Amino acid sequence: MRKLVRKTLVALSSLCIAAGALAQAPAKEIRVLLANHPYGDLLKAAIPEFEGATGIKVNAESLQEGQLTTKLTTEFATNSSSVDVFMTRPLQEGKMFYKNGWYEPLAAYDFSDYPKNVMSVATFGARTYIVPLVTEWQVLYYRKDLLAGAGLKIPASFDELEAAAKKLNSDSVAGFASRGKGAAAVTQLSSYVYNYGGLYLDKGVAVFDSKPAVDAIRFYGKMLGNYGPKGVTSMSWENIMPLFQAGKVALWTDASVFYGQIIDPAKTQVSVDKVGIANFPAGPKTNSPFIVTSWGMAVAKQSKKKDLALKFIDWATSKQLAAKGMQANITMARSSVWEDKAILARINPGLVETRAFAAKNGYPLDRPYMSAVGEARDLIGELVIDSINTKGVSPNLEKMAKERVEKVNELLQDTGEYGK
Amino acid sequence: MNRKIVSSALFYLAVAAIVLVVLFPFLWMLASSFKTQVDIISWPPKIFFSPTLQNYRKVFGEQDFLKYFLNSTIVGASAVGLSLVLGLPAAYSIARFRQRKLAVFILLARLMPGISFLMPWYIVFSRLDLMDSYTALILSHILIALPIVVWIMSTYFSTIPPEMEESAMVDGATRQYAFWAIILPLSGPGIITATTLSFIFSWNNFMFSQVLSMEKTKTLPIAVYNFLSYAEVDWGGVMAAAVAIMAPAIVLTMIFQKYVVKGLTMGAVKG
Repeated sequence: MRKLVRKTLVALSSLCIAAGALAQAPAKEIRVLLANHPYGDLLKAAIPEFEGATGIKVNAESLQEGQLTTKLTTEFATNSSSVDVFMTRPLQEGKMFYKNGWYEPLAAYDFSDYPKNVMSVATFGARTYIVPLVTEWQVLYYRKDLLAGAGLKIPASFDELEAAAKKLNSDSVAGFASRGKGAAAVTQLSSYVYNYGGLYLDKGVAVFDSKPAVDAIRFYGKMLGNYGPKGVTSMSWENIMPLFQAGKVALWTDASVFYGQIIDPAKTQVSVDKVGIANFPAGPKTNSPFIVTSWGMAVAKQSKKKDLALKFIDWATSKQLAAKGMQANITMARSSVWEDKAILARINPGLVETRAFAAKNGYPLDRPYMSAVGEARDLIGELVIDSINTKGVSPNLEKMAKERVEKVNELLQDTGEYGK
Repeated sequence: MNRKIVSSALFYLAVAAIVLVVLFPFLWMLASSFKTQVDIISWPPKIFFSPTLQNYRKVFGEQDFLKYFLNSTIVGASAVGLSLVLGLPAAYSIARFRQRKLAVFILLARLMPGISFLMPWYIVFSRLDLMDSYTALILSHILIALPIVVWIMSTYFSTIPPEMEESAMVDGATRQYAFWAIILPLSGPGIITATTLSFIFSWNNFMFSQVLSMEKTKTLPIAVYNFLSYAEVDWGGVMAAAVAIMAPAIVLTMIFQKYVVKGLTMGAVKG
């Protein structure tokens, strides 16, 4: 019996060693993790060109964003990652990745082609770690036919938005929609908070219990509670976009990234000429919708082939590829592609106009920008749900906001980010 | 007579209602997998629509699901096979020698959240250069399959009277031979149950494959996520992929259903 055990062990371990030997990688090879994102797809298709020009073999893998974060976190945390370059979400994971030392600083990269407010989330201290890829901003999508039918113009302020939503709301069509599902709603609520004059965090301190912020949450709750689709507190974009595409929503505020899908005849029931895009309406205080870097690219600190990785990131974030991305309707972060007449001629004017407005007036964050962003979003999400459920008149909202602010401040203190 | 008709009518009505509730999500998925994106989101839902094979073309053409099928099959079959090799003798030993603590210990592996194994595994496998290898995935999936095999089979073995192998041993057989020649042939239904269940659990496992596999060894549950893009969900693709993934599990269960129920309830009374 003991002999058998020994034999099995020997056989198993030799199997492991054999498999290990087979997996040895050649020297000029890098591993790249991409997101399931149109730009990731575009890169994947273009990689053979890079391989041909440089002789570097690229092992690219695409993952859904949640999976991507899980995988990167596991690999980096165990300090045995073989990832060289990866796509990353600066606002969602940037701060945590930076604090853990998972990004390689990009000293030699030329960042002059990127807007200042975009760079603010790619830079920590004096160094830059992330190359911004894609930006998105908040807009108002509307049904041209419904507005015209009711004799309304495009809402340009919150008051007009409310009046229009009230008039357009019926049993078959929701007057207004925006994300209502707790944490998912936090990003779309942000522009409302800014336009009321509030913020989530101010210099590392949670301040969303301020009067403007609470007023904004009340307004958001009133709009969705009165004119939103049924069950809106469990709806994120996955649920609202199909409703809009099915003609069940008249006004919808969300990120610009969805425009392509709601004007694609293969995906929507509402004919394209009935759908419009407009600037996010102004609030009582200002009009400063979010414009955020939703995706960036970075080199892994643990990479053993940084020279090759840097070569790849230079190519993958180049102006040529950015121009290609624009042609594929991806709203790239580089400034120059938004100034190139030849490129702009092929892009929907609605996108160009709303981007110009947001780039000029917008705010570069759409969520509490901190390491524990997930927990903070959950906490703010509870306020959103309470506000929607009470149609914005919850008597407890101030108290709840105060409690949530304290909790978020504790989270900030735990990670040493409080007051910074 | 009349009452009999009424009561059986009520019975079948109740059956139909339950079946409808249980099958509804599945039917919805099946129908959606043949719809275009526009038909899927349309409201009210379209019951009559012109079916398209576009989604299945995406699943097996653009996405190469056959490869993922093969990966899932290799991993599941190997893990279950190895679990049977290790688990059947273990279960026999637990049943005959009343090694209760051992049994609980094996169950513990199943009770612990799988994620607690992942970090150590990742370190070990990446140091051994076994990332993205079938070896790593199979070894991890044994953790899923082995406890099921051991637990189902140990109750099953305990229902077989010990006199069976004792009489063989009286005639000069070793215990090992008696196990091989007498007990195993009697355990068909139990083995089928354990195999089916553990294979399905391995087939459906998401977490281990997510971290330990990459492009080469990607398994089916991970591949479904290929249809979820940033800010975009290809519902038709997801539905078609889900149908394709569920099909083998459903076929397997239908074929072996009789044995599964038998194997699970065997020994239930004896305890």
